[in-house]
Amino acid sequence: MIGLETLRDCVRNGIDFVKKQKDVIDAEIFASWNEHITVRLNYTSDIPCNGVHEPKSTQFSGIGLFVVFKAGKEIKVGFGSVPNNVTTKGVVEAFQKARKNKVYDPDFKSIPVPMEKPVLENYHDPAVMDISDEAIVDLGWRGLKGALIEYNQKHFDKSIIVGGDITVIKQRMAIASTKGIDDFDESTVLTTNITSMIENERVKGTGWNTSTHLASFDTEEAGRASAESAIKTIGGERISSGTYNVVFGRQPVTDLFTNIVIPALSLSSVNSSDTPFMGKLGKKIASELLTVYDDGTIKGAVGSKKISCEGIPTGRTDIIHNGFLVGFLANNYLSRKLQNVFVSFPPRNGFRYHNGGRNHNIQPRICPTNVVIEGKDEVPSHSLLSKINDGIYIGRIWYTYPINGLAAGDFTSTIIADSYLVKGGKIDKPLKPNTVRINNNIADILNNIIAVSKDKKQTIVWGGEEVVLAPEIAVQGVKLDSISGFIS
Amino acid sequence: MRYTALCIILLLRRIPIASRIKVELIDTLKETVTKVVQHAGSLKNCKYADIRLGIHETKYANAEDGKAKGMGEDASISFGIRVLAGEMSAWGYYGQSIGEGETNPKSIHKVLTLGIKKAYARAVANANKKAEFKSLAPSLTAVSLARIDICNDIINAVYDEDPRNVSLKDILTICTKISGDMRSICKDVQYAHINVHTGINRELFCSTEGSCIDQSYTLTQGMVSVVAQKPGGIPEVCYDYVGDLRGWEVLKGKNVYKQSFGDFALLRTRETLELTEAEFLPATTEPVVVVTNPHFNALLAHEIVGHPTEADRVLKLETAYAGRSWLFRDFQDNELGKQIASPLLTAYSDPSIHGYGHFKYDMEGTPGKRVNLIENGILRGFMNGREYAAILGHPPNGSMRATKPHYVPIVRMTNTIFANGNKNPEEIIAEVKEGYYIVNHRIPSISESRENFRISAQKVFRIENGKITKLYRQGGITADSKDFLMNIDAVGNDFEVFPIPNCGKGQPMQVMRVGNGGPTLRSMARLTGHQ
Repeated sequence: MIGLETLRDCVRNGIDFVKKQKDVIDAEIFASWNEHITVRLNYTSDIPCNGVHEPKSTQFSGIGLFVVFKAGKEIKVGFGSVPNNVTTKGVVEAFQKARKNKVYDPDFKSIPVPMEKPVLENYHDPAVMDISDEAIVDLGWRGLKGALIEYNQKHFDKSIIVGGDITVIKQRMAIASTKGIDDFDESTVLTTNITSMIENERVKGTGWNTSTHLASFDTEEAGRASAESAIKTIGGERISSGTYNVVFGRQPVTDLFTNIVIPALSLSSVNSSDTPFMGKLGKKIASELLTVYDDGTIKGAVGSKKISCEGIPTGRTDIIHNGFLVGFLANNYLSRKLQNVFVSFPPRNGFRYHNGGRNHNIQPRICPTNVVIEGKDEVPSHSLLSKINDGIYIGRIWYTYPINGLAAGDFTSTIIADSYLVKGGKIDKPLKPNTVRINNNIADILNNIIAVSKDKKQTIVWGGEEVVLAPEIAVQGVKLDSISGFIS
Repeated sequence: MRYTALCIILLLRRIPIASRIKVELIDTLKETVTKVVQHAGSLKNCKYADIRLGIHETKYANAEDGKAKGMGEDASISFGIRVLAGEMSAWGYYGQSIGEGETNPKSIHKVLTLGIKKAYARAVANANKKAEFKSLAPSLTAVSLARIDICNDIINAVYDEDPRNVSLKDILTICTKISGDMRSICKDVQYAHINVHTGINRELFCSTEGSCIDQSYTLTQGMVSVVAQKPGGIPEVCYDYVGDLRGWEVLKGKNVYKQSFGDFALLRTRETLELTEAEFLPATTEPVVVVTNPHFNALLAHEIVGHPTEADRVLKLETAYAGRSWLFRDFQDNELGKQIASPLLTAYSDPSIHGYGHFKYDMEGTPGKRVNLIENGILRGFMNGREYAAILGHPPNGSMRATKPHYVPIVRMTNTIFANGNKNPEEIIAEVKEGYYIVNHRIPSISESRENFRISAQKVFRIENGKITKLYRQGGITADSKDFLMNIDAVGNDFEVFPIPNCGKGQPMQVMRVGNGGPTLRSMARLTGHQ
């Protein structure tokens, strides 16, 4: 483990060194240390198994140095990185690489300049930083225990599957630049996603929990919730293909925003002309009930950070307001490159997330923090069902992709768990998992929203980096196809 | 402490520009790695341990619309340790990257020993909990590994042009020139991006059983990304790859497309432009005759044959993530030995043939073997690792890989493909009175147990009276997997293996290169289009 003071000394000494180089105009030095711990669960009642399959971790640290060089009448930029050497010697080596790697990029304008003051301070959990191997293993077994006890109490002991993971992320970083940025960040993230099944009943349930602090992290409850949800959906029925009114639960809302909506609302998609929202700034792109913003300052939310990986304090970036497109997520590079095309967007989302950490060897790309979805005239969750009256409650979807490319807006996904038929504004019967495919265009989904719930929960999906403070959302006119007829 | 100017000048003089981490370093570390793993074997109740130590040297560049965006040359070293320990043996794992200053044998000994200590502590804690939970969860079992031959071997990298001898300037020039040429074809090209990397990897595997395997391979890949749009129209997006486990010659034409990377990128750009003028494919509610080309079938084989025949999915380990397999519900109720496809169809996974999934030994030290997955339509087997082979009672076939040495190996496809047939592809099309020709894969979305798929194509053509006629855009096909496989009535003789560089699986997600492919196929599926 590398301490914050070591990282801060490294970047500050590094800036002193870089300033002395004759051909340097500007430079930014980033140093980080990260540990990513995963405890993977695998319990199968009818197949020999490990319960907790493996407690594992990866650890990485290093320096990333971005330098603006004088090269005759041009300026050139170069990036160099060095792993596991957070010293001035490491800075010197990274500098030499940056000099060797320099290129003329006419789109480069400037490295980031200081802006605003950070909101969050000292928001990590020291207990997570010091967590023992035994405690890590115990978190996994507690998650499994929650599911198994729920199944035992409800007299299910055959054909049980419990899978998922407990993930612990520790991140420390420091950054300094010739423009005056000199800051640091330290964060801890705890997440668990547990999926359990009674396989011969073909039912699956999901439970999850997130926290920044160990004391409020409850893996056992996530396990219990997954089993409870699976049991509730026994006896599911198929539906025929057609257009339905739907309530999307928190996981599907998160899945749609993580895989379709938020990538399309990033300046990187604008830069590559690969978004259905090209040319729509200031225009209505969704129901007036929908407001979406990114906010990295929410205390206790696991996507929160004090500063971005460019040293910019996190903050609120409005994206959709009452259905109108009002902004895009930005990093420094693209915010400046595209500022003549658009108004300039605050570059609060430049992060170097990779392999579960703030990685020294990549340059900042645009990543969300906490995506907050709000509604005008929000309603209690139970009222959403009466808004659709007859239709489907979708609790979990899977493998959501922009099937014809992001710009086309078409997406597809299958419903795999936690879902029900709704009749007369009430939950009627469970929906049989893996028998329905959603085929729609995201523009239709956003425009056909008829209600947004007041209650929200931090939700993450597999492979996603952001956290969505997700409500449940009622949408009319969703196309659903019956599939997998050969599965009994 | 702040460094003085003199100190910094001295440092500048002492550090060479190029990194000192080279793949040759492995030669000096073999003995140390062997010693540390032997020490692990002597720990109380340690049943098994292995260490993978790898070095990766790479050069890369990228450019957008003819403008340089970056280039670099990096080398990294990292290791991963697996320990199986405890009374009721369980896994513990630890992985880490290593800095240049830690690459001497003494330092390596120290970091590996610390790694063993962490992995062992986790394994013992895990085993103790497993024993404690046994009464609540009777299927909890001590891990056992299927027996393999103990191997000591050295596998050298294959290349004509050593990636290490390619200059960064040359790599960048290719990127700027090709992306500039793409952009200048027509004003409707909105975005042209080229990314190239070439490098060499060497990984050492040592286990407490006595295996010591030293494998190297080169990898060269070019990625093209293009967006084209008519004024007021919907953008057409295409990305595709040229790549192989070889040297720089891959980009000069020694690849599956048998064309230079520049020609490939321009072809994809022209095709994308052509699509902006095409009509959207109308979706159908009923299945129609479809002929799928080898490039499309690469992704089809990947999604509906490769993934559901991975033993970890079969044994439910991916239930929460990548999904299960409809081919195996339990030991009594499964599709092994049953007809799941047309008798014309055979599919296999083979690391011994050329492609992105080529290797001699997997990352458990098991010799990689051809696995016959489907033989004449009958399901025959699964890709596995030692633990899963033991549970299934199958022979281990060496299908465990990790993206980097510091990650845990999981079951991955190798070169997973539909076998070649004997029919001329032109003949397959000529026999179709009314149908569609599905050309080149794009994006997949597959059901949780792989029982249904929707895959989009780069291009779709109408077939009328045996002739290819109209071009459509934004199309694809959807079907239940078994229906599609059973309805195959023609298998071409134009088999190819394509690089699939980005298969995501595991937690944390590992993005792996695999080889997939096959010949032209003809079957039935519903058409999908723009919503």
